[in-house]
Amino acid sequence: MDLDNKMKSLKDKGGRFIGCFPLYPPLELFHSMGLTPVVLWGLRDFVKTSARADRHLQSYACSVARHLVEFVLSDQGRIMDGLFMYNACDTLRNLPEILHCGLDENGRSLPVFRMHIPMAPQEQTRTSGYLNAKILSLIMELEETFGVLFSPERFRHSVALYREMRSLCKELESRVARGAISYGRYSRIMQEGCFTTVEDHIESMKDILKEEPLCRNDSVVPSHAAPIIISGILPPPPKLIDALEDAGLRVAGNDIASQRRSYDYTPETADNPCIYYVDFYFNHFPCPTLLYSANKRIATIKNLVARTGARGFVFIGEKFCEDEYFEIPYLERILKEMSIPTLPLEISIEDDKNSTAYATRMEAFSEMLRS
Amino acid sequence: MPEEQKAKTGHTKTQAGKRLSKIMFNDYMRLHQKAKEGAFVVWIAIVVPAELFSGFENVVYAVPESHAAMSAGKGVGPLQCEKAEGNGFSPDLCSYARIDLGTAFDGGKDSPTFGLPKPHLLVSDNNNCSLLVKWFDVYHREWGTPHFILDVPFCYEQQKDRDFDYILSQYRDLIAVIERMSGQKFDARRFREAVCNSGEALTQWKRFLKAAAHRPSGLTVFDSFVQMAPFLTSRGSRELVDHYRLLADETEDNIARGIFPVPNEKYRLLWDNIAPWHQLSKMSARLAGLNANIIAASYTYCMGSLEGEFDLYAYDGGDPLGYLARTQNFSVCPHGLELRYRSMQRAIEEVGIDGVVFASNRSCKVYSIMQMDILKRVTRELNIPAVMIDVDHADVRKYTEESVFGRIEALLELIDVRRNHALP
Repeated sequence: MDLDNKMKSLKDKGGRFIGCFPLYPPLELFHSMGLTPVVLWGLRDFVKTSARADRHLQSYACSVARHLVEFVLSDQGRIMDGLFMYNACDTLRNLPEILHCGLDENGRSLPVFRMHIPMAPQEQTRTSGYLNAKILSLIMELEETFGVLFSPERFRHSVALYREMRSLCKELESRVARGAISYGRYSRIMQEGCFTTVEDHIESMKDILKEEPLCRNDSVVPSHAAPIIISGILPPPPKLIDALEDAGLRVAGNDIASQRRSYDYTPETADNPCIYYVDFYFNHFPCPTLLYSANKRIATIKNLVARTGARGFVFIGEKFCEDEYFEIPYLERILKEMSIPTLPLEISIEDDKNSTAYATRMEAFSEMLRS
Repeated sequence: MPEEQKAKTGHTKTQAGKRLSKIMFNDYMRLHQKAKEGAFVVWIAIVVPAELFSGFENVVYAVPESHAAMSAGKGVGPLQCEKAEGNGFSPDLCSYARIDLGTAFDGGKDSPTFGLPKPHLLVSDNNNCSLLVKWFDVYHREWGTPHFILDVPFCYEQQKDRDFDYILSQYRDLIAVIERMSGQKFDARRFREAVCNSGEALTQWKRFLKAAAHRPSGLTVFDSFVQMAPFLTSRGSRELVDHYRLLADETEDNIARGIFPVPNEKYRLLWDNIAPWHQLSKMSARLAGLNANIIAASYTYCMGSLEGEFDLYAYDGGDPLGYLARTQNFSVCPHGLELRYRSMQRAIEEVGIDGVVFASNRSCKVYSIMQMDILKRVTRELNIPAVMIDVDHADVRKYTEESVFGRIEALLELIDVRRNHALP
């Protein structure tokens, strides 16, 4: 996928881009205010080096942060008209000012919108009022910076679009689970969706879903492949996805932050953005980065195993992602109690270049599941 | 070394040093004893305002981070880390967390304090780091212990009114939770007294740190690192006030008597990050051999100040809960780059710094990620040479002394070069 050209062509259409830090920014709100949100993850194939990022971040910053910084500071990053971030993790929260320094060195600047999303459970602390106020502040900042006005009608329209997009994502995912579409292809579609308008993403997914259930132009996972659940922040790099599918593993369940966790839930009512986002965040698919969702995660994983009939669980560990790594030992134990073998893989910034070792481990895991 | 010379170079244990050992021993023994007798036990993150617990008659608290630092200082850090790693926890996780998990899951074995008594409630705080919430969640899942998350917004600027109100409301929620769980009533008078004590103790702390401004400095940063400990275990107590007063008095007295930790001090350095607990004596001695003294640290001068400040933010006797909410962000980790730079600039000017040592700490991303840009600003805007070294605050396995000292010595050479080229 040529993301560079993809984004350039988007820019040529006119319109303004807001680069959103991962993981779960208020996309509908930006869209309703005439901005095209681009979630800045999955940039591994887009930024060829991390030379610029290396001038600002130590080696123990995760690849998501490194790629994000590299992209924003690169010439490609000039496509953006603003940046949005929230307190997603300890590393990301430090980045806005680092980016400011990096941009400043090159005589550039970008408006940065920051928001604190409450991380305490609602049953413990009355967080709704605080989040309401934060959403209203964000709306005012966007209005002031971009000279646009918030419109409830446009917001409802944007929510409807995102609901449709998320529903199509789920439909595609279910085809992956059935083996009708490869996980590799699905992941490419999901990644492209980050760098396109929601309208185009919807159209492209509709086109794919119109294809014959067993598409002709794509390698489809054989039916005897062992069903697994894949879990982590990002999907593995393309080479490793190929290795995974070549090893005879079928992704029957998805717990990836940039995939299922992102599109699982859309609130019903969209009359008020404050109420909408309180609902959106506090009923979100559990994620280790949403600190209040920890209690729900185990049950969600257990349900996912039961619902998908998965026989194995693959952790795609993002090197240095502490939020994920604190939960893995407990999850492994729970899964073991359910007789679900696990395969923990750790992916760091350069690991996609050494796929052989991973492929061997995946093959062994697959053999074990199928034996 | 003759006694007289030992005294002159500060190598003998001070009264405050002796008293510190006693306080720490007593604090941990009291904690175990009270827990055994049925006290309600709370485990807290380092920046949870412990004065809140003084408002209850029989609530005691433990600080796993402080215990982990002590374990690292006593040389059992790697042993406890390995236990956690053996239980599946990644070696990339914070070494405090690994030490604590290793200790807890091995029933306190090998701990210098026999571990910590099991908690009835966990109180974490995400403004220092969200990692801490994940760490306490491990116990929440394993033991079913309720977990209260203090959700405190990161501060890129000085605290906003809305954030202040939000923090305040959570303190009230926390008090209500403890009342409900422990069956004890919160006593506002006892609580106010504890806040008064902390305020007074911090005044004495700042007085102690001022000794760094003297030439040669009346203290090393290593003294201040170890003396932070009772602020974590005895917060809100009268004993803490008395101890910090003794510390400040003794340090001033030593200056008056011409006793300095590095008498031939040639290089005055500032440290940025958590203390390297496993290296305090070794690093201190080796630096002294180079006539270098680290006299200040962002880790210690933040105590008693507001975000981005250096001076004391004194308690004025007003609303004690409000004071705690306003000072909730005192530690460095919740500060944005601009605020950190601002307070560092003040520190450099106030105590007279020749060079800055940025300790890039794998175990503390919140503290470390942004140091590269602060370093650039310090060298460019303040014209102060600086160096970055690799450390891990509690896991000595990730520390290489020669590599660190190679860089520090390069910094000292750079300071010399600048001095030699300075205009008369």
